[in-house]
Amino acid sequence: MVRVENISKNLGEFFLKDVSLEVADGEYFMILGPTGAGKTILLETIAGIYSPDKGKAYLNDRDITRLPPRKRNIGMVYQDYMLFPHLTVEQNIKYGLRSRKLSKQEVSQRVDELANLLGVAHLLHRHPGTLSGGEQQRIAIARALIMEPEVLLLDEPLSALDSETRAKLRKELRRIHALTSTTMIHVTHSFDEAFLLGSRMAIMNHGEIVQVGEPSEVFRKPNCKFAAEFLGVTNVFRGESRIDNGMAYITINGLRLASTDNREGQVYVSIRPEDILVSLMPLESSARNSFQGEVQDISDAGIIVRITVDIGVPFVAAITRHSFLDMGLQQRMDVFLTFKAVDVHVF
Amino acid sequence: MNTIETKGYHSAQKIFSRLRESSFKIITMTFGLVLAVFIVALLIGVVTHTTPQALLESLLSGEIQFAIRLSLITSVISTIFCIIVSVPAAYALARYDFPGKNILNTILDVPLALPPLVAGVALLILFGTTSFGKGLAEAGIKFVFTPLGIILAQFFVNMPFMFRVLRSTFQGINPRYEYVAQTLGSTEGGAFWRVTLPMARNGLMAGSIITWCRGIGEFGAALMVAGSTRLQTETLPISLYLNMSCGELPLAIASATILIVISLVSLFIFEKFSGFARVF
Repeated sequence: MVRVENISKNLGEFFLKDVSLEVADGEYFMILGPTGAGKTILLETIAGIYSPDKGKAYLNDRDITRLPPRKRNIGMVYQDYMLFPHLTVEQNIKYGLRSRKLSKQEVSQRVDELANLLGVAHLLHRHPGTLSGGEQQRIAIARALIMEPEVLLLDEPLSALDSETRAKLRKELRRIHALTSTTMIHVTHSFDEAFLLGSRMAIMNHGEIVQVGEPSEVFRKPNCKFAAEFLGVTNVFRGESRIDNGMAYITINGLRLASTDNREGQVYVSIRPEDILVSLMPLESSARNSFQGEVQDISDAGIIVRITVDIGVPFVAAITRHSFLDMGLQQRMDVFLTFKAVDVHVF
Repeated sequence: MNTIETKGYHSAQKIFSRLRESSFKIITMTFGLVLAVFIVALLIGVVTHTTPQALLESLLSGEIQFAIRLSLITSVISTIFCIIVSVPAAYALARYDFPGKNILNTILDVPLALPPLVAGVALLILFGTTSFGKGLAEAGIKFVFTPLGIILAQFFVNMPFMFRVLRSTFQGINPRYEYVAQTLGSTEGGAFWRVTLPMARNGLMAGSIITWCRGIGEFGAALMVAGSTRLQTETLPISLYLNMSCGELPLAIASATILIVISLVSLFIFEKFSGFARVF
């Protein structure tokens, strides 16, 4: 278990302010926040790169606040891989084993094991500079895992990759986590990653942790204006998806949404507020999703007005001020929400 | 044949029309060209001043042989000292923030701005007249009028070159390489030794070459500290100076030729390494 208590650190441009956090053994914990929120320093402080100005860090109830990184057994993977360019892939992976006093045979056995786990066995004799981003990140993960770390810290590990490689490596991270049950702390600014990987997540802003919880809970109930605005995705729901005739149907609390995203099982669904049409009468259109509900809340933000409509679950729709006035919307009025199947994002 | 001529004619026409477009370009380029011609002419003038035979004879003379040997030994040793001192200093100033960092950076550059003669006088005063210098001399470490003084002078005057090249090299290496190495069981020193220093290899080479080359050519400071005693503290530049002053032109030209060759080769190697320094 990793526990940090009231950690503060000031590095000028970046800082941490009174951060407390607890991550359980084997947990996949996500830290989400905008650039400059202090996510990386938090990881680097946990790794022992910086010693905090104030506060304490514990690993399995052992005080590690003043321990140098090499004595913590915490692995680190950066966005830009940080593979040692003057060493081959094999030398990179086994770099850390030098401090472990293993026999040559054990070392090469461990290297093979990790190289196979990450699917980079065919690259062992190459130099990192000649490899793709995805390959480099796999090697960086192998290099960290060979130490059998108690905690693996991942600093935006997927951000530098193209979307296809990112999806592949995201699955890989999940598989590795299931296989090794290493405690993972993963920093990201991507909502999808937070949802797909994290069992719990924290939101950071200005060096502080503003909210901690399960992803669906945090997305549904942001506890402050920053979290709500940062998460931005307002209509996020968890549901069960079934595919029927090439179309996915997602049941959420009795509501049935149609989507063109073909994914089955337990899924998350999101619909952008501006993709939802609001009308007083049912619309004659090709859009597959149309529901009736009561206006619960109206928030006027100038040109755009956001209204919350309860159609079984609360949906937020964004309409122009012009059409808002045109319809003469008020609280408690019954309206129709219509949106296309293609705008129902399933993940 | 015919088509080739036509082609040649057309491309010539094209060049002329381009040139007409930009007289500004021509004027600025002319300056560069004239400068280059001037430099090359000077060098050729030195090398061809005597006959090749006389040059070879001079090169093989005992005095020039001594000067070559002394120059090589002193410059290699002073370069090694520059490396030993500059590596940690440049690393500290590239990596850490501390109060007084700017002042320290400026002070470490001072020998670069100082006229070598003044640097030499300063060294002479410290090591020749103070009780510190006298104490060292009594302990057997004599700098004044000895080859050791040449090494000292070269070290002092050229250290900033090594320091500056290394500082910018270390600045160019992301400290996160070291952070990762530390999470993989390395100490701070171990991470530096196994990761940062190998990554700084090209900068180290470039810095060594330029420091060594300048060491070979060091004259003013060395003259002040070590004097100019024939076959004692006679490096190549000192030899050039001594032989010029007593009219032994062939010997002077031999020294000059060697210095030119060393400079050109060093420049070439330096360009190569500093050009590739950021390949990683």
